[in-house]
Amino acid sequence: MTMIFELLTQMFKRPATNQFPARHAPKSVHGLVATVQAGKAKLNPPVPVPEDFRGKIFYNRETCIGCKLCINVCPAHAIEFLPENKKVRIFAAQCIQCGQCNDVCPKNCLSMSKEFAMADTNKMSANLIVEK
Amino acid sequence: MNGMDILMAVIGSVLVMLFGIFFGLVFKGIDRVLSARMQARIGPRVRQPFWDVGKLFSKENIIPENAVKWMFSSAPVLGLASSAVMLLYLPLGPLAPVLQGHGDIILMLYLLVIPSLAMVTGGFASGSPYAAVGAQREMVMMMSYEFPLAAVVVSIAWKLNVFGIANPFSITSIASNPIWMNSGILGIIGSAILLVVLIIVTPAELSKIPFDAPEAETEIVGGLLAEYSGRNLGIFYLADAVKTIVMGALLVAIFFPWGIAGIVGLAAGSVGAIAADIAFFLLKLFLVLFVSVTVIRTSFARLKIDQIVYTYWAPLTIAALFGLVLIIWDLNLLGIEWYPQVLGGW
Amino acid sequence: MSGGAEYSVPVGPIHAALEEPVLFNFKVDGERVVDVEVVPGQNHRGVEWMGMQRNPVQVIYLAEKICGICTVCHAYSFVRAVEHISGIESTPRADYIRAILAELERMHSHLLWAGIAAHEIGFDSLLHYTWKVRENEMDLREMITGNRVHYDMFMIGGVRRDIKQDQIPKILETLKYYKDNFEKLGKLFLQDKVIKMRTQGVGVLTKEDALKLCAVGPTARASGVPKDVRQDQPFGAYLDIPVKAITPDALTGEVHGDVYDRIIVRLLEVKQSIEIIEECLKRMPEGPILAEPNITRLLIQLKKAHGEGIGRHEAPRGEVYHYVRMDASDKVTAWKVRAPTYANVMPWVPMLKGQQIADIPIVAASTDPCMSCTDRAVVVKEGQKPYMISGEELHKMSVEKTRRMMA
Ligand code: SF4
Ligand code: SF4
Repeated sequence: MTMIFELLTQMFKRPATNQFPARHAPKSVHGLVATVQAGKAKLNPPVPVPEDFRGKIFYNRETCIGCKLCINVCPAHAIEFLPENKKVRIFAAQCIQCGQCNDVCPKNCLSMSKEFAMADTNKMSANLIVEK
Repeated sequence: MNGMDILMAVIGSVLVMLFGIFFGLVFKGIDRVLSARMQARIGPRVRQPFWDVGKLFSKENIIPENAVKWMFSSAPVLGLASSAVMLLYLPLGPLAPVLQGHGDIILMLYLLVIPSLAMVTGGFASGSPYAAVGAQREMVMMMSYEFPLAAVVVSIAWKLNVFGIANPFSITSIASNPIWMNSGILGIIGSAILLVVLIIVTPAELSKIPFDAPEAETEIVGGLLAEYSGRNLGIFYLADAVKTIVMGALLVAIFFPWGIAGIVGLAAGSVGAIAADIAFFLLKLFLVLFVSVTVIRTSFARLKIDQIVYTYWAPLTIAALFGLVLIIWDLNLLGIEWYPQVLGGW
Repeated sequence: MSGGAEYSVPVGPIHAALEEPVLFNFKVDGERVVDVEVVPGQNHRGVEWMGMQRNPVQVIYLAEKICGICTVCHAYSFVRAVEHISGIESTPRADYIRAILAELERMHSHLLWAGIAAHEIGFDSLLHYTWKVRENEMDLREMITGNRVHYDMFMIGGVRRDIKQDQIPKILETLKYYKDNFEKLGKLFLQDKVIKMRTQGVGVLTKEDALKLCAVGPTARASGVPKDVRQDQPFGAYLDIPVKAITPDALTGEVHGDVYDRIIVRLLEVKQSIEIIEECLKRMPEGPILAEPNITRLLIQLKKAHGEGIGRHEAPRGEVYHYVRMDASDKVTAWKVRAPTYANVMPWVPMLKGQQIADIPIVAASTDPCMSCTDRAVVVKEGQKPYMISGEELHKMSVEKTRRMMA
């Protein structure tokens, strides 16, 4: 009985669902993206991420000294060494966002951003290969 | 019947069937939205069931290798047809039944069994252990809710009979002489009990939680419907939608048959009055279904089949009989002067 | 309802009642389960082998990924095993943070389970309700660790992130939310008529069977076996904050060992976890959070480590056990994980026998099985015919393998 009352009161409250990115699935996702990019529609905002959120990895190519320490600790084998210029390349699709490489890097050139919307149809797309 | 009558009946039947399918799907949409809201979710759009049906009809129709093919494929059609036939015997608001004068509520009781039987046949024919378990459960469930249902129907007809109404079993008589009329306080309570019983029988008729053991998704993965897909599943879906309207219309016809046109002062028979009455009928229909389908299926867990049998045979049958007894007492007391007559009529 | 003839109903490897792949072969008579055979091993991923290609720091993250729900307990057990070998000790503050994380995980895992259990008996509203309640705690863990699911907090010799002073009010606030809602949740689960009908007297595991079949965690405790690693072999912060194993008689005064009792135990454990976290926050000492903050130096130290170690922890589902061997190389030489569900597979058989088909989902779910943790044994398929390896054979093979690895 408690449940019925609880449910009937919930019926008149705002739903708990977070409506990111849209309230209902759009007819075409690409269509939605296009209208948003054209500034004709707005996406519902996601739940804000906390301060120390671990999102997509960022890399500062300038300061990297090519010490390979990050490669040694990366559990997902997501980092590749580029011998010709002694830099690294990170495959974000493979990265598990643990942040271990951030901790080990002597030059602090790796960091975790707040970006989390990384879905892509191709794991080798430019967006998912972090080189600079 | 002459040719004209038959033509009218055919056209009427088609229209009524379309009416049933359309509003059945609309109700399914509303049901899903409201149920989602009760669970603090947003839920789909109201038109989602239409899309679902469209999608099902465009999908491949797989018939399992070890199924009895003709039975497997004819069961959904039988289910939809029998559900639609029932609508022809029911008054839809101001519209008299298409087959007025041809069947009564006893026929209705028999017809109600056919969609379930169609599902049982389909389940046994699909050659899957899940469907077989589901079919067995459906049969057991049919037997269990029949009794309280019959008790409700008999009580109502008995009352009409006492008042000397001709054809007490005819649905038109029942609808034009609501059970609440000519009741004292006991009669009102008795009728209310019958209403509750019928409301609780409805989810079982429609295989909805808590009485959805034959389809139990987490136990026997859809049971009866486990092997159905594509168009066949779509037809079963439509049959379910139509049957939902049938159950709603039955509840409305027995317990809430009043129209609104007279109250708001529209001339009887005018287009406006009919439109208002149809709208009011739909409102009543959806309200009744909201209580008996949406609220119940959202607020309870699924019962096991033996618990379903117990629920219907013990508490609900007793309740229905108790309701009948109250109505009988009530009618006996009505003759006594000091006994207050709450609702007069007739 | 009895059809007379027995027939078989397979449940799994993929089935709506199962969250993860496992196979039950049921023999049923009408609605009654006559016999059941559990066939695990449908989800073997070779995690341990992957671990043996990596250094200990990398394996921590791999251990976390064994399971999305008990990520803390696997990481915790693994780092304890490595600490055991290398002699690196975690700092006192880290111990407390570890305990807080472990208890937060228990809370969320039990709430998640409660929702699933409700879903198994067709009560989706309660599923949505419980998971809505659980969401607050997910947010809390996201704030503390930086992610909702895989926290990546554990490190050999401590934890990677501190709990900051300004985070404590938020933690207390969330705990208060749970304390306020606890009564209601208890009422919704324990007093609902239909839930009682579906869970009382269903899936009974007697105390004898629980002991004989070595059940662990809430499954064992609900049968009246007061078994809990945190109580029996306390470690870390649990040394300062004693934990008492919860059995259902704490609430009802009786032990039935049925599904209902398992709900009671888990709900009470949620409350217990809240209390432990509060206690931890109160007593948490100041100090460093890592014994060796420089990972490079830590790795060099670990490279010298030699020997075998054991790490245990009371996961939400029961005792989890990690065995690790290191041979002074940069890789982990051997790694064996025994997840709680492994110990809880056999108790399924007495629980399921004699039940109805309708009881299967809720009984199977009542041990809170986690196949992704468990499935690490393989059924051999030589040529075409799969066959089971007998106990002796398995033992022989293990001995041979150990010899090979020692050589
Ligand atoms: S650890 Fe830092 S500096 Fe060294 S290779 Fe990686 S990114 Fe470059
Ligand atoms: S965040 Fe973790 S997984 Fe990603 S690149 Fe760094 S170490 Fe590898």
